[in-house]
Amino acid sequence: MALELSQVEQGNHCIVMAKGEIDLYSSPQLRDAILKACKAGKDKVGVNLSEVAYMDSSGVATLVEGLQASGGADSFLLVAPSQSVLKVLQLSRLDSVFTIVEQV
Amino acid sequence: MVASKDIEIQFRSTPKLLCDVRAVIRSYLTNHGVETDKVQEVVLAVDEACTNSIRHAYSGQDDKLVELSLGSGDGWIELELRDSGVPAPYDRIKRKTDEAIAAAALTPGGLGMHLIYSVFDDVTFTPGETQGNTILMRLRSA
Repeated sequence: MALELSQVEQGNHCIVMAKGEIDLYSSPQLRDAILKACKAGKDKVGVNLSEVAYMDSSGVATLVEGLQASGGADSFLLVAPSQSVLKVLQLSRLDSVFTIVEQV
Repeated sequence: MVASKDIEIQFRSTPKLLCDVRAVIRSYLTNHGVETDKVQEVVLAVDEACTNSIRHAYSGQDDKLVELSLGSGDGWIELELRDSGVPAPYDRIKRKTDEAIAAAALTPGGLGMHLIYSVFDDVTFTPGETQGNTILMRLRSA
């Protein structure tokens, strides 16, 4: 399953919508999309992961990179992560590092 | 492997094929009665092992071969992954402390090994003396 990415702006948020699988092959695309969102001039950057069926540690590393590029957990949100995304964040002991919200 | 091999596949060392490899593993485990949650974890862990072979053993060269065997028997499900790249240094394959796990988040190879150790009941990583790596990952079956 390929990774589909799009960008939406809602108020002071720029949200990257991700759909599909995030792995070593597709995580560079997610990285580009997040860095682009960071430059959109909004206060906060979000990544909607509700339709991500699979994510590996390269996806986790990409999200950590986004967290750092956007200026920290106050300005970088994970929106409605799917159960499989939550599981890999928990296994990586990083679920408490991110700000996770159900919606923006 | 201790268990009898049921499936043996070879695939090119390109990230593009990882989704196909995951599909094989997912199907095998599901057909062997592994619970959905555990299937997800095992697929993730083996994917990390494949990623390590591609990124580290083969330094991203996409024309090398990786081999994966799947088997079961004597109450175990076994998955063995082999590459013929550069043997992994001990520092990268040893078990990590909790503090080191979070610190390893930006280096996928390091976090990947933690995931592999977390998910399986028994892991044996055997780097070759001069070439190649073999990792045997064993899961107690129900």
